[in-house]
Amino acid sequence: MTTRREFIQTLGSTGALLAGLDACGGGGKGSSSGGGTTPTPTPVPASPILVIVNIDGGYDWLNVTPPNAGTNLGVYQTKRATLGITNPALLTDLGSGMALNKDFTGMDTLHALGHVAWIPGIGMPNPNLSHFTCIDLWGQGAAVPAGNGWLGRFADTAFNPSGDVLRGLTVTPDLPVMLKGTTRSFVSITSAGGYVYPAYLLSTSTVPDAATLETGWGTALSASSADPGILAAAQAGKLFFDAQNNPAFGTGGTLTARTPTVPYPGDATYPVLKLSGAALSTSLSSQLKLIAQMIAAGLPAQVYFSRLSGWDTHSNQAVDHPNLQRALGGSIKAFYDDLATITTTAGLAQDRVMILAYSEFGRRVQENNGGTDHGTAGLAFCVGKSVKGGLYGGYPDLTSLDSNGNMKYTTDFRSLYATVLERWLGQAATATDTLLGSAYPRLGFL
Amino acid sequence: MADLTAITSWTLADAQHFARRAGFGLTPADAAVLQALAPGAAIDAWIDCTGTAYDPAAFNAALATADVVLEPLVSANTAVAGSVDVAAVAAPHPFLVQGADTWRNSLNTAQALLAWRMQHNPHAFEERLALFWHNLFATGWHKVDNTALMLKQLQLFRSQGLAKFDDLLVLVSKDPAMALWLDSVLNNAAGANIPNENYAREVMELYSLGADNGYNQTDITQLARALSGWSFTFAEADYIQNPANPGQKFAADARFKVYDGTAIAPDTRLWWGGAATVSSNLHATGSITLFSQTLDVTTTANGWAKGENAIRSIISAKGSNCAQFLARRLLTHFVTAGYSAQDQTDVANLIQGAAFDLRVVLKTLLKSQFFFSAASRYALVEGPVSWLVRATRMLCPALPAGSAQTPKGYPAWRLVTNSATTFDQMGMKLLDPTGPNGWKEHTAWLNSNTMRYRAKAVAALALNETRAYNGTTYPLFPTFVTTDWFPSAPASAQAVYDRLAALLQPAPIPASVSAAWLAALWPTTFTWDSASQTKARELAFLILCSPSGQLY
Repeated sequence: MTTRREFIQTLGSTGALLAGLDACGGGGKGSSSGGGTTPTPTPVPASPILVIVNIDGGYDWLNVTPPNAGTNLGVYQTKRATLGITNPALLTDLGSGMALNKDFTGMDTLHALGHVAWIPGIGMPNPNLSHFTCIDLWGQGAAVPAGNGWLGRFADTAFNPSGDVLRGLTVTPDLPVMLKGTTRSFVSITSAGGYVYPAYLLSTSTVPDAATLETGWGTALSASSADPGILAAAQAGKLFFDAQNNPAFGTGGTLTARTPTVPYPGDATYPVLKLSGAALSTSLSSQLKLIAQMIAAGLPAQVYFSRLSGWDTHSNQAVDHPNLQRALGGSIKAFYDDLATITTTAGLAQDRVMILAYSEFGRRVQENNGGTDHGTAGLAFCVGKSVKGGLYGGYPDLTSLDSNGNMKYTTDFRSLYATVLERWLGQAATATDTLLGSAYPRLGFL
Repeated sequence: MADLTAITSWTLADAQHFARRAGFGLTPADAAVLQALAPGAAIDAWIDCTGTAYDPAAFNAALATADVVLEPLVSANTAVAGSVDVAAVAAPHPFLVQGADTWRNSLNTAQALLAWRMQHNPHAFEERLALFWHNLFATGWHKVDNTALMLKQLQLFRSQGLAKFDDLLVLVSKDPAMALWLDSVLNNAAGANIPNENYAREVMELYSLGADNGYNQTDITQLARALSGWSFTFAEADYIQNPANPGQKFAADARFKVYDGTAIAPDTRLWWGGAATVSSNLHATGSITLFSQTLDVTTTANGWAKGENAIRSIISAKGSNCAQFLARRLLTHFVTAGYSAQDQTDVANLIQGAAFDLRVVLKTLLKSQFFFSAASRYALVEGPVSWLVRATRMLCPALPAGSAQTPKGYPAWRLVTNSATTFDQMGMKLLDPTGPNGWKEHTAWLNSNTMRYRAKAVAALALNETRAYNGTTYPLFPTFVTTDWFPSAPASAQAVYDRLAALLQPAPIPASVSAAWLAALWPTTFTWDSASQTKARELAFLILCSPSGQLY
């Protein structure tokens, strides 16, 4: 096993980053994968799908993939005297001084398959400890943030402005800044059914003049106006209107029904529970089930967005954090397995999907009274059959924290975006650099 | 620049603009009554709640008869033991219809109560103000897990929402729901303990200064020390019993207490319900350095929390930053999102000049030429809850009449909030924002999903949706087209449109759109019959969910 010191020397914790981003990745080079042999990744598919999982609240990834060797371990043991996960029985060794918490359900299996690219220490040059500032920065993903999102700008470029309404979807009720473009925004669809017009709130009554009302609403949405507020309302309404009238969505505004054969967290047959013995949260699993249903129904979406909240563990971390990890890891693993049961016209869904999980920041190394405060560098990871599993970037040096006791970042988050835009979403290198406002080094996992 | 001099006369349209922004709108008839008064005096009375127009007698009477009725017991069949024939109940019941297993801590019921208050409170301004502060001091039930404490916080906003901002900020910092929400109850800085920064960070970032605006990480950790141990206790009188299960108690009130190791009152419980005679000691004693000032934060023997001086120093030491922050929030909620940097500075100067007296600030702002200017008219997208409340104020019977209707003011809001998490999907989960940053306003209210659910909500209202339960069918929102909407019969399709537009007050709708609607609904001759009355409902629905209908 590579020691932490060798690992850092290989990657360079400061100066050599830009040149060495993928030094540790690629076919497991420099990393152990928990005992399995790393398979050759499948080629990037012709019709790739990106599924974003937003780990909302700033997750304490230091307890998800804690250090298990070298000086980092020593610092971790000192600063995480009560919350630290140091018992080897609770961990899977990932090599390079990094371990995987077994509460992160299913991720050890995905890692052993060689399908997970871990990017510890991902962050930005001028870190901010505000959730909302960081959410905006991560969402915007630009050298010079300007109010729109990196995937929104991708949509501006790639999506047909008069069509493609279902090509980018969020299954959350809000529209994150990440998905806002200048000329195009994603559609928010939170349910598989009832996506008809006008849909009654509670009853099954029918509207006497439904066709008249639908036409009348469409007339109002299409009318021109110089008022930016009215235009925003019209655009939002029209996205819904066009989506529910899109033949791809399904007869009667309802997606083809689907019951996964794979159990998801929260399902009665799902074997993993909360520490209390109660069922896990279904918040993320229900979103990923809906995305699987959308993929199975053949929606033309290329990008999906989902979110699991609750990671702002200022308190009660010893209970909340394992439960959250089980729901997050378990949902991703169930979704990944579920995709193997879905055959689309463009091929097996599992071959087409890559999952990208990220959070706005990591948490303070030093614990305080049962919780952790806001920190800086995070852990992003990508899951998929085309992913070259392993560790990318460098694990932060816990002996060299910033003046607030936070970790120094080792990989610029826009390098992740550049890699995904160019090597997964098929943007040309120059177009990718334009979308991000600068040329960020690519990571080697694709 | 923002002209903050007061208007001296106003039109009916001006009075309606004011009522939409400073309340939840007025019908044309009520707006005419307001407009007959001089604007300065009328706006003072509106804000101060003086005069017969704001007499809360009927409202308080309805509140006093409010109670919880378990939904399975709602039945017209009185042979069913314990059943309640809702149609026979003598007054509107804001609390009516409660799930059997969620006694007293149902978010949906609390949301319904709040929406019902907005709909019927004659002093609409205090509900509008509470809504404003609820967004600014955004606190979420999913962590507080106590609707009574959430509603207690809302009441704080009603009662103190026009106080001086530093006083309000101290009261919010001591509020039990807030103490749970941002972990003040777990902020232990006694001895060598490292304080929990959660509240100290957000009180500056989100509640008084804005991100990175006049403070640094050291200020956060120092303020966290000052506020360590800020918590609360429950006295026996703070609990209410479940009438159906006397052994079950629910904490409905709480009182501030610094946990500094001193005794707590007899018959008093700690914040987590534990019995004790002394509080645990979480409190840092000594002094802190905040914004380069040294402040003693040791709580005195009589319980006075000197840490409140640290809260007040945010305003005293960073007044300009705080005033700029408040100006942004007030402008975006009450006036326009299209303000200039100079407008913001002008309002910030007003705030500092008024020594952060919110009553003076709000009165000046809401009387100003700037507020009434053409550029501010319909310049904001309305938040979904107040938008729906305003529509109910225009289309549903007011309280005294409502209680005489049959069925008698069925608690629409309880059913609306109960179903499909309507408020959540419209983008404003009342009393339960996701995070302490609340909801972004104006165009951020709009996306395809929120527009979908806005359409669904007003379909329930305008199209007279009903719900059947236990053999009785109730309208979700009782509405009466011929008596309330059209007290005199309209003579033409255009007259139907004109009346509905006057009631619902959308931003200007292009003539081509309204003409197309009328041509489709009344393609031939117009007769004011039941078919036309149904079409009037459909027209109201189209106005409400049109793009212009989202602005106010």
